[in-house]
Amino acid sequence: MNRRIALRHLALISGGLIMIPSCDFSKEDILAAYQNLNVTQSQKNLLAAVSDTIIPAGEIKGALDLEVADFILVMVNDCFTKENQSKFSTGLGAFPDYVKITAGKNFEALSTKEKEGIILSGAKLEGDDTEEGKKNAAISYFVNSAKRFTIQGYMASEYIQTEVIPYSLIPGEYNGAVLITDLQKPRING
Amino acid sequence: MANLNLKSKQERTYQAIVIGSGISGSWAAKELCDLGVKTLMIERGRDVVHGKDYPTTNMLPYEFEHRGQIPQKIQDENPVISRCYAFKEDAMHFFVKDTEHPYVQEKPFDWIRGYQVGGKSLLWARQVQRWSDFDFEGPARDGFAVDWPIRYKDIEKWYSHVEKFAGVSGFKDGIDTLPDGEFLPGYELNVVEKYFAEQLKKNYGGERHMISARCAHIHGNAEYYAPQGRTLCQNRQLCQRGCPFGGYFSSNSSTIPWALKTGNLTMRPDAVVHSIIYDEEKGKATGVRIVDRLTKETEEFYADVIFLNAAAINTNLVLLNSTSSRFPTGLGNDSGTLGKYVAFHNYRAGVSAQYEGASEYTTSGGRPTSGYFPRFRNVYKQETDFLRGYAAGFSASRGARSNSDGVGMELKNNLLNPDQYGLWSVGSHMMGETIPKESNYVALDQSLKDDWGIPQLKISVEYDDNDEKMIKDYIGQMSEMFTKAGFVNVKSYDDHRAPGLDIHEMGGVRMGKDPKTSMLNANHQLHSVSNVYVTDGASMTSTSTQNPSLTYMAFAARAAHHAVAESKK
Repeated sequence: MNRRIALRHLALISGGLIMIPSCDFSKEDILAAYQNLNVTQSQKNLLAAVSDTIIPAGEIKGALDLEVADFILVMVNDCFTKENQSKFSTGLGAFPDYVKITAGKNFEALSTKEKEGIILSGAKLEGDDTEEGKKNAAISYFVNSAKRFTIQGYMASEYIQTEVIPYSLIPGEYNGAVLITDLQKPRING
Repeated sequence: MANLNLKSKQERTYQAIVIGSGISGSWAAKELCDLGVKTLMIERGRDVVHGKDYPTTNMLPYEFEHRGQIPQKIQDENPVISRCYAFKEDAMHFFVKDTEHPYVQEKPFDWIRGYQVGGKSLLWARQVQRWSDFDFEGPARDGFAVDWPIRYKDIEKWYSHVEKFAGVSGFKDGIDTLPDGEFLPGYELNVVEKYFAEQLKKNYGGERHMISARCAHIHGNAEYYAPQGRTLCQNRQLCQRGCPFGGYFSSNSSTIPWALKTGNLTMRPDAVVHSIIYDEEKGKATGVRIVDRLTKETEEFYADVIFLNAAAINTNLVLLNSTSSRFPTGLGNDSGTLGKYVAFHNYRAGVSAQYEGASEYTTSGGRPTSGYFPRFRNVYKQETDFLRGYAAGFSASRGARSNSDGVGMELKNNLLNPDQYGLWSVGSHMMGETIPKESNYVALDQSLKDDWGIPQLKISVEYDDNDEKMIKDYIGQMSEMFTKAGFVNVKSYDDHRAPGLDIHEMGGVRMGKDPKTSMLNANHQLHSVSNVYVTDGASMTSTSTQNPSLTYMAFAARAAHHAVAESKK
C-alpha cells in the first residue's frame, strides 16, 4: 500500500480529516493526502462542485460520482511544479471571493446555469502585474487546470472505460482507409 | 572488497561467457548455445522473466495513478531519463534513473540505459532496416573514420538468419539502398501515406521512396514462432511494458528462453562486470571479474571465449577498465583508439504539416510501425556541402476528437461522442548519419567511482558543422517534399536535443582492417586478443542512418559462428 492509499484509509477511519499538529485552531485542517498542497476539506468540496459543473451527472454518472476531485488534487500534488502548485492553490483560494463578487452568492448557492457561467468567465480571466491581475491569472489557471483534469479523470476512469466506452487492450488490425461514414455509432446521451 | 570465490574454479568455468543480455548479447548466447557451447550470460541488472516480470503489461489506463505521467519529483531528480520519449509511468521500472547510475557529462549527453535481463530489447522501437554497401562503403568513399573490413555480402546471410528467427514484417520494396530481407507480411501504409509515397515517386523521378518501415513484429506465420513461445503481434502498441504475446522481438521473449531450452545457458543476473581478465603468458583473455550488484562481493568466471555485449558505451567502459601491464590503457588498445570515434544518430529535427485531402477517410485499429524514408542524399555521388545523409520516419494520422470548449451537459455529450475530424496530420523526424571523430570520446573518470568501485564514465560527444548543415538540408528538403505533395501548414523544428537521446550511440571499439587504427578485425575479434569478441554498437566503424539493432543481431550471430569454427581448428 502506498502512502497516499494508507492516508486515505486513515482518513476514512478518522472521519475524513487528519490532524496536522498546529496551535492555530482558527484554521481548518489541511488534508494530508496531498502533502504538497495546503488544501482543506471545504476547498476539496468546492473543487468537487466545480468538477460536477464541468461534467454533471445525467443519464450516466458525472465527475462528482466518480470522485474526480481526488484525481485532480493527486495530479496537481504529484505532477505540477512547485510554481504551478502555488498558482493552482492561490486560484483555488481566491475562487470563492471571485464567485461572491461576480455572482453575489457562494458557488454552492448558484443555479446550474450561473455555475457554468462563472466557470466559463473564470477560465477567461486575464492577468497582469498588479496584485489583482496576479489573482485573476491564478483563478484562470485554477479553473483551466480543474477543467483539464476533470476531463482526463472522467474520460480515463474505470466507469467510462468499462461501462460507457469500453477500452480495448487489443485494438485489432490496422485499417488505413476507413470511411468515416462507416463508423457511425449510436449516440451516447450523457 | 571481499573476494569470495566460494565455488571451485571448475564450477565457475564455462566454454563461453557473454557479457550483456540485450539484443546483441542474447543473440550471441542463443547462437553459441544452439551450437552446443556451454555459455554463461552475465547481466548487471535484475532478472526479468518473460510473461512473469511485466507488471504493467495488462494494466488499463485508469489503473495508472497519474494516467501515464511521470511525477514532477522524479522528473526533477532525473532530468536525463525524463527526456526519453518512452519514460512514462507504464515502463518507468525498465529504465535507469539518473540518480541510480551517475556519469560525467563533459558535454551534454543523454545516456539512456536499461539495466535488467533483456536490457533495452524490452524498450526499443523495433525498427529493423538492413544496411547496404552504400553504407559499408561510406567511410572509404568519403574519407572519414576507417574503411569497414566487411561488406554487405559478408553479412547478408546473417541478416536473413536473424530476421527469420526474430520475426520481421515488411514489404519487398526493391530499393537498392535498403535491401529486402526475409519478411513476414508487411503493415500497409494508410491512405495518406500511400498518397505521399506516390507523390514522391512522381515529383522526384522515382528517386525518393517512402515505405512501410520493416519492424520486428510477428505478422503472420504464427506456427513458426510457437516453439519460441511467441505468437502474433496484437497491435496493442504497449510494447515498452513487455509483451505477453512475444509479438515483438525481445531477448526476454525470444533468444534467452530459446537458449535456456538448449540446456547450455546459465544466467548470472545482478553481476556488474569489473573487467575482463587477461593472461599475459597465454596472450589471451581467461575470464571475467564481476562485483555482485547486491552483496558487492567480487567473483571470477572463466571461459575460452568472451563476448562483450554490454551496450555500446558500457562495452567501452569494460575494456577501458580491463588494464594489465600488456594493456595499460585498456584491453586490446594497441591502436590508442579505444573509447574514441564515438558517434550517434542525429534526431534533432522534424517537419509536420496537414493534408486537406482524403477527407472522407480515417483509420482504425493499431499498428506497431509507420513509414520510413531511406536515405536519398549523397547516395550515388557527393551532391551537398555536407557528408552523408539522413533517413526519416514518416506517418499520417487522423482521429475523431471532441470539442472541449464548453462546460456542463454540452461538454459531456461532446466528450462522449467524439465526431470532429480535423485535417490529416503528417509528421516526419530525421535520423542523420554522424561522422565518427577522435574528439568524440568516452573515458574513465580519474576520481569518481560508482557504488561497485568501478570508475564512472566521462562522456564528451557533440554535434559538428556537418550535423548542422544536415539539419538545414533535412528541414529544407522535407518541407519541399511536403509542399510539393500539397500538404499545408508546413512547420519544422530543431529541438536541440543532446546527443544520446537518439539511443543509437555507437563506436569506441571500431572495426577496421588495420590494427594500428582500429580495435576489432573483420570477425569482431579484438586485433590483439583474439578470444574477445565485441558485436554490439561499440563495434560500429560508422553509423549510417538505419536503426542499428538488426545489424548488431547479425554481427553477433556471425561472430558466434566464427568463434565456434575457430575453437574447432
